[in-house]
Amino acid sequence: MSLPSDGFCRAIEIRSEACRLVEVRRFVEEVAAEVALDSERMFDLKVAVSEACANVVEHSGCESVPLEVRAHVHAERLTFSITDRGCFKPPNPTRQAYGNRGLGLPLMVALMDEVTFVRSPAGGTRVSLSVLLSGR
Amino acid sequence: MDVRVSSLRDAPLVEVKGEIDHGTCEDLNAALCTALDAGGQVVLIDLDQVGYIDSGGLSVLFSALKRLSPDGWLGLVRPNANVRRLFELVGLCADPNVRIFEDRVTAEAALVGRTGAA
Repeated sequence: MSLPSDGFCRAIEIRSEACRLVEVRRFVEEVAAEVALDSERMFDLKVAVSEACANVVEHSGCESVPLEVRAHVHAERLTFSITDRGCFKPPNPTRQAYGNRGLGLPLMVALMDEVTFVRSPAGGTRVSLSVLLSGR
Repeated sequence: MDVRVSSLRDAPLVEVKGEIDHGTCEDLNAALCTALDAGGQVVLIDLDQVGYIDSGGLSVLFSALKRLSPDGWLGLVRPNANVRRLFELVGLCADPNVRIFEDRVTAEAALVGRTGAA
């Protein structure tokens, strides 16, 4: 199968809640199937995108504003962008006794080919997670 | 995600079915806490039906490890290739109190080899 062409674009919006993360992973699976990713890369993307969304749920303080996840293909790379419109708030120390040990960000970096964070002047942050579609 | 607790050779066996993420990991945490509070030195988690785990679930495993006694261990049974890859990435496989088993038979054999095991 040939690589998907530039212009491929899919998007979903979910409520910013931990129980919605499963919907994000189903979205990643659908996109990965469309661009014919192997199961290992699909798994990597599911973890990375889910972690980025979990960070938004934890830190962005915008439960009432939907979280947007957008997938697009450009220059033979597949990028998922997670955009929130909140502002950072520290985690609730009473929420979970075990914490997340700060594993989310290292996992994103370890599993992806490129990770970028862009803060919008208008508030909110966009995390972009990319995998190369060629050369593997 | 479903969590069911049974036992194998007197050791608690936590069987998980589904995806372990930030929204579901508390159920696994509760099951592991119950097993550890009951004095379990060895706790087994059967991951055969787990297709996904993220830092939420991994943190629960690290948290359980911290609560084990120095000679206790956490047995991770039948993780799939992707889940196992994450375990290696975050250093779980290198932890001296973690053992990974390909199947329940080898997990059971390790339990039989313990001093004082039935």
